[in-house]
Amino acid sequence: MASSCSQALRHHVCKSSRILRVHLQKAWPNRSFVLNSAADQQPAVSSPVEEIVIPKKKTWSKEAVLQALASTVNRDPTASDYRFQDDPYLTPKTSSEFKLFSLSQESGRNAAKYFISTYPKYFQKDYAQPHIPCLMPETLEAQIEEVSEAALIERIQMRKVKAAVDLYDQLQQAGTPVSLDVTNQLLDLICFYGDCDPAQENVPEQRNEETEDVQDEPQTKKGRASKASDKLKAAWKENNNAERIFALLSEPNTHSYSALIRGMVKYGAYSKAFSTYTDLLNNQLKADVSTFNALITAAPEVKEKYNEKWELIVDLLKQMAEQKVKPNLLTLNAVLKALRRCGTVGKSQAFPVISEMRALSIDPSLASYNHLLSIFYKPGAPFQGQTDILQEVMNEVSGKSFTPQDPDDAQFFITAVRICLDTKDIEQAYRVHELLGVGENWRLLGNDFQQNIYHARFFSLLCMMENIDVVLKWYRDLVPSVYYPSSNVMRDLLQVLDTDNRLDLIPQIWKDLKQLGHGNRQTLVEELLTLMAREKQNQEVQETFAECALDIKKMYDTGDRGKVMMSWTAGSLSDLVSVLLAAQRRQDAWEILKLFKTHNRVPSEELLDKFLTCIKESGDVNQALELVQISAGFCLPGTPKLIQRVQQEFLLSEQQKSMLSDLEIQTFNSD
Amino acid sequence: MATSLVRKTKLLSMVSSQLNSAACFRNIHCTAACLKNRAARIRVAKGDKPVTYEQAYHPHHIGHRKGWLSQHTSNLQGEDGAAERVVEDVFIRRFMYGTFHGCLADEVVIKRRGNLLLICAVMIQKLLPSKFYFLIGYTEELLSHFYKCPVKIEMQTVEEKVVYKYL
Repeated sequence: MASSCSQALRHHVCKSSRILRVHLQKAWPNRSFVLNSAADQQPAVSSPVEEIVIPKKKTWSKEAVLQALASTVNRDPTASDYRFQDDPYLTPKTSSEFKLFSLSQESGRNAAKYFISTYPKYFQKDYAQPHIPCLMPETLEAQIEEVSEAALIERIQMRKVKAAVDLYDQLQQAGTPVSLDVTNQLLDLICFYGDCDPAQENVPEQRNEETEDVQDEPQTKKGRASKASDKLKAAWKENNNAERIFALLSEPNTHSYSALIRGMVKYGAYSKAFSTYTDLLNNQLKADVSTFNALITAAPEVKEKYNEKWELIVDLLKQMAEQKVKPNLLTLNAVLKALRRCGTVGKSQAFPVISEMRALSIDPSLASYNHLLSIFYKPGAPFQGQTDILQEVMNEVSGKSFTPQDPDDAQFFITAVRICLDTKDIEQAYRVHELLGVGENWRLLGNDFQQNIYHARFFSLLCMMENIDVVLKWYRDLVPSVYYPSSNVMRDLLQVLDTDNRLDLIPQIWKDLKQLGHGNRQTLVEELLTLMAREKQNQEVQETFAECALDIKKMYDTGDRGKVMMSWTAGSLSDLVSVLLAAQRRQDAWEILKLFKTHNRVPSEELLDKFLTCIKESGDVNQALELVQISAGFCLPGTPKLIQRVQQEFLLSEQQKSMLSDLEIQTFNSD
Repeated sequence: MATSLVRKTKLLSMVSSQLNSAACFRNIHCTAACLKNRAARIRVAKGDKPVTYEQAYHPHHIGHRKGWLSQHTSNLQGEDGAAERVVEDVFIRRFMYGTFHGCLADEVVIKRRGNLLLICAVMIQKLLPSKFYFLIGYTEELLSHFYKCPVKIEMQTVEEKVVYKYL
């Protein structure tokens, strides 16, 4: 460091001497030899040398080098998710494969964990220095067998609700006093899990839907849309263990009341929670901040009218101030969440609440902004000039990196992009997407299911608002490394192609569709065929269309086991024939024409007219006659016209002429 | 001092003469004979045996035409633990051979970076990808807990075993 300092000093001094020389030369136009050389040889003494401030030594964390290296690398749009192996056979190509592969990897891990916990003696040898606790086998059974307080504490830590309650009862019967702290911990355990044992994740045969938040991480691959209903499946039972043990307490303190009230609110016993709170006040105890948060969450459930709900919340907040309990971020979020259920009162009170909390130095988190946006932008309701709220929120939030502080933080991005989609605001959508790239915000996007929703909405908005080049740029960036689009979104993409007249990209999109597993969706494929058949393109594009159309035909033909079979319609068959005719592939078109009969569909007159024009170019008279016969076979009303055309435009032999006149009489008679 | 030396040599000659009697001459061979010039070599046969690149070149080609199958730093000057690494490698190779039974196309390459154990394997596309991922998750988790260090698998798949020549 000293050498670098001296180097800096030298550099600085040289620079200043250079500057001085320049000044001298400017001031003295007739350069005197002596002055010049003196200025050259010695560093100027009188030049202003600035103070060199040596900075304090920085201490870097252990991962600083890795983080610096990581910041130089962007996401690779050609690679799949980091979870998967980098091999074409092992890369998921559709969203169902993505889910399947990640779930199978998780179940492999669970199988290994089962073996490790069933035979822990083989995994005891500790090679790691320093010790890595997460790689040691877990003890699933409680070790301390005797009836004592230490055994109770152990069972509480292992989250065994029923065993802990049984042990507590045994201790009470034996007459051993259990300290208030331990009883409070037991109450916490019971109220958190709602008096049932949390499902163990290592046992393979157990289902995963009932697990609580604590053990959620390995199983969050499934859709979590039903999370709220899962939690509320267990309702607060009458006279359950928590209430019973609470009643046995001689002097319940704030902590005990807090555990009980929070448990009641979590499991839906709202009015009971409020009555317990009145008990607490009657015992001249103070409630703590989490109790108040729970009560505020419960407030909209116990009252009906918006005003009453708001008054109850204000009342609670006033009591909080009286008891000198400081609110925290979760209080702010609880109030805002309750305001979502308060209709118009919510809209008027939301901003004052936020400013008051700011005054108490509680900064809103992404969850608060999420609730704010939900208050003002109800899904499905018409908007009357409220678009600036989203803009204000984005102004507040842009450029900041957030850490997860509230479980509802993960809803922010989905709500924001839903609002952008509803108000068709592409600018704000870009800002929301930019926010995702700042710092650690990518963690707040939620699990795979929520990410899928976010990307689906973002991409649909892009398809609606932007031109084809921008859309394709985003398409190549997001698909399929981050997002596997559904068939609806792909239909939006086709519409953009149509609007911007880039139908020549259709064969590429068809390849992507096949890869994504949408190749057998009937509506999508029929739309593709219609778009291709609509206008005549130039020759090379038409060729690619013909190839694509034949490929599509293959999708209809053989149904692999398990794949959905598509059925031909008259429209799709005619589109296919038109595309092939436009590319001068008469033979293929002829085969398709025969398919009309096999699949019991009737061709239209325009199609047969077009076909006849094509045949005329090649001059194949026999084929023209067969065409007329086909038309007669379908009893089409346009058959006489066709016959006339053939008679006029083609050179017919006697035999053919007689055949035609026979047909004419036939159709005339049937008319 | 001279006398004690003479006594010692006399004792020694007495002992050796006793040993030279027929009863003390059997040598017991406890292990199988592993000849250096037959290790890791597939001999030339009729011409119908398919052989991969790894198998076709003999051990003296390591460093010239072949690479190393196991990469760690315990063979450098002043580093220890070489024997433990060998035992770990043998276990890992048997584990991979058994877990991905019939799927291995070539020898497993084991690399150690810091405390990360990287197992690189080339597999034949014999199983469905979901089954591969199940086995990968299982192997990574089990070996991590066994060796108390992070274990990662890097897998590449080929359609069939890549044959270099027929011997």
